[in-house]
Amino acid sequence: MRRRPIIGTSLAVVAAMSLAACGGGDGGEGSKTLRVTLVNHVWTENIKKALPEFEKQSGLTVEVTQLGEDQLSDQYNVKLNAGASDLDVMMYRPLQEGKQFGKNKYLADLTEKTKSDSAFEFGDFQAGPVQATTYEDKVVGVPIITEQEVLYYRKDLLTKSGFTAPPKTLDELKAQAAKVEADNPGVAGFVARTGKAAAVTQFSSFLFSFGGDFVDGSGKATVNTEQAKQAYAYYGGLLRDHGPENISTDMSWSEAMAIFTQGKAAFYTEANSLYKNATDPTKSKVVETVGFAPFPAGPAGSKPYNIPSWALGVNDNSENKDNAWKFVQWAAGKEQALAQQTAGVPGARASVWANPAATASYPKDLVEANTVSTANGVGHDRPLVVKVAQAREIVGQPIVDAITGKDAAASADTANEAFQKFLDDEAK
Amino acid sequence: MTPSKPYRVFRTSALVLVVFTLMAPLLWMITASFKTNVDIYDTAKAFVFSPSLKNYETVLQQADYLQFIGNSLWVAFAATVLSLLLGVPAAYSMSRFTMKRSALVVLMARVIPGVSLLVPWYYVFSNLKLVGGFTVLILSHMFVSLPLIVYIMMGYFDGLPTELEEAALVDGLTHIGAFRRITLPLSVPGVATAGILSFIFSWNNFMFALVLSDSDTKTLPVAIFDFVGYASIDWGGLMAAATVVTLPIMLIALFVQKYVVSGLTAGATKG
Amino acid sequence: MSAVTTPRTDAPAAPAAPQQDSAWSRWANKHRKWLFAAPAMTFVAVLIVFPVAWTGYLSLTDAEGSVRAESEFIGFQNYLDVLTDTDRFWPAVWRTVLFTGVVLFFEVVLGMAIALLLWRPFCGEKWVRVAILLPLVATPVAVGMMWRLIFDPNIGMANQLLGWVGVGPQPWLAGQHSALPTTMFIDVWQWTPMVVLILLAGLTSLSDEPQEAARIDGASTWQRFRHVTLPLLMPTVIVAILLRGIDALKTFDILYATKGRGGGSFHEVETLNVYAYGLSFDYNDYGVSSTVLIIFFLIIIGVMWALTYRKKGLGR
Repeated sequence: MRRRPIIGTSLAVVAAMSLAACGGGDGGEGSKTLRVTLVNHVWTENIKKALPEFEKQSGLTVEVTQLGEDQLSDQYNVKLNAGASDLDVMMYRPLQEGKQFGKNKYLADLTEKTKSDSAFEFGDFQAGPVQATTYEDKVVGVPIITEQEVLYYRKDLLTKSGFTAPPKTLDELKAQAAKVEADNPGVAGFVARTGKAAAVTQFSSFLFSFGGDFVDGSGKATVNTEQAKQAYAYYGGLLRDHGPENISTDMSWSEAMAIFTQGKAAFYTEANSLYKNATDPTKSKVVETVGFAPFPAGPAGSKPYNIPSWALGVNDNSENKDNAWKFVQWAAGKEQALAQQTAGVPGARASVWANPAATASYPKDLVEANTVSTANGVGHDRPLVVKVAQAREIVGQPIVDAITGKDAAASADTANEAFQKFLDDEAK
Repeated sequence: MTPSKPYRVFRTSALVLVVFTLMAPLLWMITASFKTNVDIYDTAKAFVFSPSLKNYETVLQQADYLQFIGNSLWVAFAATVLSLLLGVPAAYSMSRFTMKRSALVVLMARVIPGVSLLVPWYYVFSNLKLVGGFTVLILSHMFVSLPLIVYIMMGYFDGLPTELEEAALVDGLTHIGAFRRITLPLSVPGVATAGILSFIFSWNNFMFALVLSDSDTKTLPVAIFDFVGYASIDWGGLMAAATVVTLPIMLIALFVQKYVVSGLTAGATKG
Repeated sequence: MSAVTTPRTDAPAAPAAPQQDSAWSRWANKHRKWLFAAPAMTFVAVLIVFPVAWTGYLSLTDAEGSVRAESEFIGFQNYLDVLTDTDRFWPAVWRTVLFTGVVLFFEVVLGMAIALLLWRPFCGEKWVRVAILLPLVATPVAVGMMWRLIFDPNIGMANQLLGWVGVGPQPWLAGQHSALPTTMFIDVWQWTPMVVLILLAGLTSLSDEPQEAARIDGASTWQRFRHVTLPLLMPTVIVAILLRGIDALKTFDILYATKGRGGGSFHEVETLNVYAYGLSFDYNDYGVSSTVLIIFFLIIIGVMWALTYRKKGLGR
């Protein structure tokens, strides 16, 4: 009997406490608190370090929610769907979610704000990225990170096999990969992403360099053209013949990067924005021996993608849009863009790219590769549609089929048919 | 009737195998959490390596794990206590009045696929201006805890003799009084069992927290998913994080082993 | 009721404190049945009814992109599409059934074997019980991460172990055909202990007499198990199957943590739950997703109903 009152009291206290905790979470009325959702990225780490400066300047309090890529899009899906107003600034992928968000009117129109602010100098942003953050002639986002595909390679292995320079063409890449693999048991000649959806973006540069694309000018699916079939067969074949043993068909960049940075592969094609993983001694064994080269040329030349990977947008349902813009203004402004670029995150401002100090800390060959890629680059790395996730799975199928030794050409025909149907559905 | 010697030898070796299979992966996880990433990738250093606390430093400093531990504790605790408040009386009533259909309503919560609940919940709660705190998270975890508690406590109340309550009624107590003063105190072991289990399940819940938590309210299982984020596959950090998530709940389970076992097996022996 | 501690019957009777005989008290006592049960039921009902109704409604529309966007009522078109979809839906149904069936089989057989080993007291029992409890309470997401490292084709412990006994490396989770069996193995590893505990509770509650009688009649160990223990234990086995079956059908954490969205490039571990999640959160195809969820829900209820029915049939 003696225990009862104690239990009763503690239950009551707990209930009261939890109710008190539940009561919170209003904070409306154009508040001084700004809610910013960012992805896990080097950019985010840098911006968080600089935040106190912004808070002091603006008198606002910034609450940062930081999430992994998949969780981020899951959360956007739930919250934006529900018309939530508890999101102010959103970091998003213009090529992945841009059209979908635009179509659903999730993103606020920033056209006036970008144009009216002369210090922000919106004209400084490269044209390609800006196009990607524009929906139906309205500016809905500000690009902050750009990416190009480059070739990561191992200088020591190439020298050992008697090569004096990284491959200039895709044919040379295949030959060098085969030779290095033969000379070094346990080391794969080549590694790259293999996951159906994940590989599409890195495969795109191969596709473009063979002279293909996902969709032609008139909006028809073109993943079964001769060029596309060659590209699928080449990419899949290279991984099948010279890739790691027991190759998984689930690899995204993190798994592929791990194989390369552990010294188990000679060549690796990947986004340049991830280069720090290969040059950071706590993560990589190949810090001393990694080299960077422009994307090798195919029949149509060297045509890597050159895309804005992340942008900042403002939630259209936010009750705090003016303050949200202040944050975008600062985080994508000239000063922060320069700081980011200097810290290894390539941005979208022309003025920063023109500034030699901004890339002084980069490996020299990476800067050269970047320059080449930016000049020749193609502005997309995946089909530009509303339902990107589905489209990636469709056009990615021939990649995994080629890797697992199935008939890539037949698979490309099937994929093209499915993709055409998908495009027709979406056009309705 | 002691078992024969060959059987004893067989049984011992079989059990050693079972224990090894169950424990080895967990021990491997803990071992890996003390290795640098370079050592993890070096298969020659499977057992011989210089242990390092660096992964735990990464986990506890870079990501704000202490806050996530606090969040997990708070959500699991609040969801458990609130579910007990709702669930124990309900289970009592359902047991004493054999309300099978009503019980089924509550148990339905255990059956329904969680995916179908997320978007509708968020929609409703955001229109009620309840999002942006622990509310939705706690409510969603209660949804896991409540059926569990009702299920366990119904089994418990079924086994409690009614004579004492009847005696109390004769002594002039009301029905509710008898429940409060007689039945409830007798049920402390059952309540403890139900509470502990609900705490464990809530601590381990992933899907609801994956979508419904934000950076202030993120729980541990979601936080460990962050290591697979944009930076790199940091196996050492991941294993340290996995250890941080799992170790507290395993320790709790060991301390209250008896209750956990009786809760997991509740209802198992009712013909 | 042997599973839970039996209360002491000599608990002190409460002093008959003067009762407030207010109208409220009388009313409360008269209606205590619903007063007690209603809050919990209301809570669950409120949280279930709207989502289920909404899901049901969405399944009859072509909602996609955003649930707030305009959508058209299209009747049972989604159901027709889903039920004739041999590309994703039926394979997902098959994987769900296969996954559930296989893990249940191994969990019950292994669980029974281990429970029988543990039945009679022995030295060191405590440690075995600890070992059995740990996988059970470990956080599934952490468990998924742990197995991803162990089953990594290049650096994982599993392939090293195989190497020592002369077997070549296996792709495990990475292989198109080995991924599903590997996830089944993980599930069996984590949940067999639960079946052990349930069956052990059942075994402990059995009386010794029928066993003794059979022994005197000269029955062998196997015969005693087959004809005495097993029939008596059957209701407990059904409970174990029921509890594990519901959870196995709904398995999500381990599949998501090991293979990610879509269950891999060939959808090799895509069960109905994973498929529905992908439809909602990857494709934003809410109409189709809702249809799959409703069908999935009906399947679960059907399986549960069949098992409870069987349990009743066996009762006594």
